[in-house]
Amino acid sequence: MNNKSMKDRRLQVFEILRGAAAITLALAVATVFIFLCSDEPFTALKYLLIGPIVKDNGGFNTSSFYTILAAMIPTIFTGLATCVMFSAGQFNLASEGCVMAGGFVGALCGIYIHMNTGLHAVVCVVIAAALCGLIMLVPAILKVKLGASEMVMSLMMNYIIMYVVLHFLNNTFADRSKGSTQTYPFDETAKIPSLVPGGSKLTWGFVVALVFVVIVALFMYRTKWGYTIRMIGINKAFSEYSGMNVGGVIVLSQIIGGVLAGMGGSIEVLGRFNTFLWKELPGYGWAGVTIAILAKNNPIFVPFAAFFIAYLNKGCMLMSTHSDVPSEMIDIIQAAIFLFFAAEQFLAGYRQKLVVRSAQADLAKTETAEGGKA
Amino acid sequence: MKQLMEMVFQAEFVASVIRITAPILFAALGAVIAEKAGLTNMGLEGMMMIAALFGTLTSYWTQSWAVGVLCALLVGMLLSLMVGFFSLKLKTDIILAGIAVNMLGGGGTIFLLYMFTGMRGNTGSLVSQNILIPTLEIPLIKDIPVLGEILSGHSLLTYLAFLFVFLLWVLLYKTPLGLNIRAVGENNHAAESVGIKVRRIQYIALAFSGALAGLGGAFMSMYYSQGWNSGMVAGRGFIALAAQAMGRGEPVGTLLSSLLFGLAQALRTKASALPDISTYLVSVIPYVATVLGLVFYAAATVRRVKKARRPKEEAEEK
Repeated sequence: MNNKSMKDRRLQVFEILRGAAAITLALAVATVFIFLCSDEPFTALKYLLIGPIVKDNGGFNTSSFYTILAAMIPTIFTGLATCVMFSAGQFNLASEGCVMAGGFVGALCGIYIHMNTGLHAVVCVVIAAALCGLIMLVPAILKVKLGASEMVMSLMMNYIIMYVVLHFLNNTFADRSKGSTQTYPFDETAKIPSLVPGGSKLTWGFVVALVFVVIVALFMYRTKWGYTIRMIGINKAFSEYSGMNVGGVIVLSQIIGGVLAGMGGSIEVLGRFNTFLWKELPGYGWAGVTIAILAKNNPIFVPFAAFFIAYLNKGCMLMSTHSDVPSEMIDIIQAAIFLFFAAEQFLAGYRQKLVVRSAQADLAKTETAEGGKA
Repeated sequence: MKQLMEMVFQAEFVASVIRITAPILFAALGAVIAEKAGLTNMGLEGMMMIAALFGTLTSYWTQSWAVGVLCALLVGMLLSLMVGFFSLKLKTDIILAGIAVNMLGGGGTIFLLYMFTGMRGNTGSLVSQNILIPTLEIPLIKDIPVLGEILSGHSLLTYLAFLFVFLLWVLLYKTPLGLNIRAVGENNHAAESVGIKVRRIQYIALAFSGALAGLGGAFMSMYYSQGWNSGMVAGRGFIALAAQAMGRGEPVGTLLSSLLFGLAQALRTKASALPDISTYLVSVIPYVATVLGLVFYAAATVRRVKKARRPKEEAEEK
């Protein structure tokens, strides 16, 4: 038993090192690009890497740190949503659209329903989440009943959701007294309260997000449903033959994904803004995919991955304001991380060697132990 | 409604359907050949974006549209091979590798454009008439009243797109390479056991796929929108995936479904010019058409499978 756990621990360490290698490689790619295109590469790098938490005078930048945490709120939710759906082997990418739909519906509830403080925000978020769960029924049921690709379907649905939201935003719920297109401001009671003083937008939504990390983790690793979801992702045929309700669970996984994404969208809108003003898909769904990949579909790792992405985002933003490198650099870094991180065979040679070496060590140990007995 | 009808029954409208279909068709054929080899090329969208950018840039640098188109084709091919390298060699899930390419296509292109030219978001001032893909007047046909207006005067690549439907069909069904590609897609272990070099065939299929996406990109930036801008491809790569699924993965079926999307897109353009119609709801048309198309196709498949099974079961019962 002891020997085995030692081997497992070695592999675990290896997995972490491999992730670090992938990230380092991606940052190296970024560095190359920065040196290629910038006249002040060192300034750019400084802002990219340490800018987000270090002030110009060298101190710890608390308000910037809070901003990063605030940016994690929607992406933790979409990351969790993607984790659950990808775990079931469902490449559903509609969390992007669900964030927008959830945000919009949450805002509408905040404007047109009137309630007491405390209850109001919760009701808004619950309605938004429920609606997004219903939206996800479409690709889920079509997948199970008709075998239509949930991936293609969800991609199309993102566009449909975006245009439908924009239609209602512009033609039904627009506040005409404002210069830009937005809804009326929602009630104070619907706003998600701030967690810390100051303009960092770090709200109680962050705490809710962390709570859901724990809930989803427990669900995935401690319940029958979660086990079935993961088993279907690993081997669908096996799950079917062993009598699991594969169709139902596939639908369930996508409903959960929709609920989580809708929750993230509404919490984001009700926490960050006073009114609904998104005019395009906010991109949190795609960020959620990156985060799920970084977290290897494990909910517990989602906050760390979300922090990393938020940190990089902030770094890229600072880099573009303080130097001549455009902030779109983030996409190149993300793509590189994505490719190497998801690569099973990246550094597989070393992994193989490690496994062989551990096995040999174990074998030698057993032999000496047996020798001692004899 | 009457106004819309009048607009639709015009040669100019039909010509616009053909024009709008072409880039979708390129990408959809790219999806077809990849899918035939058992690979989902999710990165079509990003490949189109990046190829479109490089097409415009090289055509500007060399002042030759032909070089631009060729470069777009090569860039598409290289990106696709990169996806191949990561998914086949390093075992990144091919859908994820495709999403990575789409990320590069989204923000990476803006970055690259800035890096090369210092411009942000679009290539506006770089483009001049002589570096756009030329249009072709077909002799004789162009003089036929209605038909001439519909069929003649398209860009070179438009004709090429429709020609590729035939060429791809020939490639897939009349050549040894096509047989190999289909065999690999059908069952790569079986293919391997009869000595087909599976990995190589997959790379070749991906290269074709990327090249077609590259041509689609070139069409977008060097003809359709006359310059590159960051919102240019607008989900055409995704629609192409849907067109492939709806066209049952066959070149001709995919042509038909691409035409359907072209029609929906053209309708959207026309209808948005009308008063009293929400431009946003009209914008939904192509995507709803895609969803409906997929649903009908999937439902038909399920029914066919059921029908095929039923006689058998009845026979067994007896």
